Amino acid sequence: MTQPRYLRSARITAAGLVVGALLLTGCAATVNKSGTSSSTSDNTNAMLTIPREDMSTFDRNFNPFAPAVNPMVNQAIYEPLLVFNPAKGDTTPWLATEWKTAADGKSITFTLRDGVKWSDGKPLVADDVAYTFELQKKLKGGYEYLVGATAEGTNKVTFTFNKPWSPALYEVGQLPILPKHIWSAIADPAKDANATPVGTGPYTEVDSFQAQSYALKKNPNYWQPEKQKIAGIKMLAMSGNDAANLASVNGDVDWSTQFIPNIEKTFISKDKEHRHYWFPPTGAMINWQLNTTKAPFNDSKVRKALSMAVNRDQVTKIGMSGYAQPADCTGLSGNYEKWKNPAVKDNCSWTKLNVDEANKVLDEAGYPKGADGKRTLKDGMPFEFKISVGASSSDWLSVANVISQNLQAVGVTAKVDSPDWASVVAGYEQGTFDSGIVWSANDPSPFKYFNNAMGSATVKPVGTKTFDNYHRFGDPKADALLQDFVAAGDEAKQKDVAYKLQEEYNDAAPLVPLFSGPEWGDYTDVHFTGWPSQDNPYATLSDRSPTTVLILTTLEPRK
Amino acid sequence: MRFILRRLGFYLIAFWASITLNFLLPRFMPGDPVSRMFARTQGKMQPEQIDALRKLLGVDDRPLWEQYIDYLHNIVTGNMGISISRFPAPVTEVIAAQIGWTLLLGGTALVIAAVVGNLLGILAAWRRGGAIDSALPPVLIFIGSFPYFWLAMGALYLFGVILGWSPLRHAFTDGLEPAFTWEFIGDVGAHLVLPALTIVLVSIGGWMLGMRNTMIATNSEDYITMAEAKGLRPGRIMFRYAARNAMLPSVTSFGMSLGFVVGGAMLTEVVFAYPGVGYQLLNAVQGLDYPLMQGLFLTITGAVLLANFLVDILYVRLDPRVRSN
Repeated sequence: MTQPRYLRSARITAAGLVVGALLLTGCAATVNKSGTSSSTSDNTNAMLTIPREDMSTFDRNFNPFAPAVNPMVNQAIYEPLLVFNPAKGDTTPWLATEWKTAADGKSITFTLRDGVKWSDGKPLVADDVAYTFELQKKLKGGYEYLVGATAEGTNKVTFTFNKPWSPALYEVGQLPILPKHIWSAIADPAKDANATPVGTGPYTEVDSFQAQSYALKKNPNYWQPEKQKIAGIKMLAMSGNDAANLASVNGDVDWSTQFIPNIEKTFISKDKEHRHYWFPPTGAMINWQLNTTKAPFNDSKVRKALSMAVNRDQVTKIGMSGYAQPADCTGLSGNYEKWKNPAVKDNCSWTKLNVDEANKVLDEAGYPKGADGKRTLKDGMPFEFKISVGASSSDWLSVANVISQNLQAVGVTAKVDSPDWASVVAGYEQGTFDSGIVWSANDPSPFKYFNNAMGSATVKPVGTKTFDNYHRFGDPKADALLQDFVAAGDEAKQKDVAYKLQEEYNDAAPLVPLFSGPEWGDYTDVHFTGWPSQDNPYATLSDRSPTTVLILTTLEPRK
Repeated sequence: MRFILRRLGFYLIAFWASITLNFLLPRFMPGDPVSRMFARTQGKMQPEQIDALRKLLGVDDRPLWEQYIDYLHNIVTGNMGISISRFPAPVTEVIAAQIGWTLLLGGTALVIAAVVGNLLGILAAWRRGGAIDSALPPVLIFIGSFPYFWLAMGALYLFGVILGWSPLRHAFTDGLEPAFTWEFIGDVGAHLVLPALTIVLVSIGGWMLGMRNTMIATNSEDYITMAEAKGLRPGRIMFRYAARNAMLPSVTSFGMSLGFVVGGAMLTEVVFAYPGVGYQLLNAVQGLDYPLMQGLFLTITGAVLLANFLVDILYVRLDPRVRSN
């Protein structure tokens, strides 16, 4: 009978204890915080701290073949043969010092740098490179043009192709190289967690690994030790932009690349002297894709008229917070600046806002405006369609909404349709969609962009799954040019063909280019200096692209 | 005993129904994990890699019934497969790595909210019209009806950024090694305060009101008047006579909530960058990671059913009327 009273008091005591403990530890937290901030005084031991906004926790998995590979694996641990920098359009030799394309365009020979060692002290040899590609093809496929990679001696590798294939240089050159002596001993390389990676990169030693953060420390055998000026890299796991933004705004991280709304006010204004951002337009071109298997989108006049009705300044300002750059009629993003044909670029018509011209073109093409100001199709049905965007992409949703409003001026009704991305993409893949906001390929060479935009080889019938050319547009003229492009031996010839491809693109308008996606990047130079910028574009500010290693080997602690 | 066996049978059927739904629902969603992954990289993957990736990840195109039999077999043997979004980590490992934090956060918040909320409810009903009764319910309901996201962000900004009382993210200070030391436990506690407090704030009102309302009904029962007439101490009447009888609905909802704790507190995890399975589940759904989704749903289902079963048994102990059926 005494039990309930005992229970009662126990319950109250327990509650009191828990609340008390929480209050006590709450006080402890303030003590902790002041303890960590003292590290600012000694920057030589400071870690370059970076948040990762799309990974709520890390697994101890440094396998570069993992589909969701841990941050910095392909940037700080493993290195490629060469690094292409889209911000300046130049190529930096990295593990290879030089390369030569054969006269027939069917092979490339790379010469490896002398004195490069893996982090376990063993030298990098040509066999490592050959083995990496063998493994890559076996586990992840791709590189269908590649017959094989053969090591010649210890420092030369020759890649042979089954046809002349000029885009290969960057595709082959930018694949991070793995050590054969480690990976050939692993029973199932696809599923191995590679918990203690061995690489040639500047920061390879995994330290204090936790699900919420980990550090990478200096590779003791790095081939350019004079460039390992920072003590190491620390990655923080964040579930979403909000947590990462808070860390950036609060100055807890040195470098971040997630989207920050109104960056001047939320981020820069807190410390104008040290905080900077740079959004070079080197991201992929974001297109409004019209399903060309459906009327009226099979008519290039309609595509151009709709494009002229879109106010791209409004699209980038409202949809993309003014961070993106409106597209021109070459279709190429800022990533391909050196490929652009000035004759096409300077005479753009259909990518500039011109409502009168758009109305005129639609009138002439046979889509009359009714008494209510709405246009009808040739079969008398209303000119109505959907713009499909995944519900989670708030920026692209506002882009679609701006387009939908713009189109009212030409009497066209576009409804923004925003289910989950899964069903949007399913519609793209099957070819059942009307139109959508879609990304595009972003390679060093514009081949893939044009191939996906208008190469007949990439067109699949409606109902058959495809993973590029969702808008299903093929152009025989472009096919011939694309053929010339891959066969072109040197870059001057490729450029020549690329100019013609742009003319064809300008003529056919296979899709409606909207804006160059910016590559976000912001940093504070409180702890480290030597960041890339508009004036010194030695890399983009991305922390997950091939150029990242250039930043890691340039930064130095502030003295 | 027959009662418990009958309940057990019911729970087995419920379990089968839920694992079957669990199997079917994700597969009715459009697309497949590999094309989702491809779309998410936005052109950084080569289309030629898709077949290889499909093979690598073990995405199968076998008929549904074959997959279903495999799935049942896997559940019985406890093999939940390999997560697709976190390949090559096994599902059990992904869940095991996170579930501790989820239970700590959700469990702490639930116990505090339920205990404090019920106590407040008892007191409010006992002194109807008193200070607690008139002031607290409106205030708590007001706070509880804020969007949680907004409340949590506000609390984090106020206590974390402006006042600097609370850490801004994660379950413990980065770089600290987990160990059974006072330093580490204190650090975990410090990181737990704000996330748990925000959950308590939004949920405590419900507990308090629920308890208060049943308690008011019980207070007007004859046996309470009788107890008062006999001159028992008010505290004894309040807890032993009134509260014990009014507690039954609260016990039920406590059991339900206990089960759902396992599902994680997604928004809390997002705001406070707190580790846990909630955000993992969102990711799994968005990435169509069938194995991880199944693993998480299974864990949640199991936990809810188990918690309910325990409550059922507890009921037998608490309420004699259930026994005499």
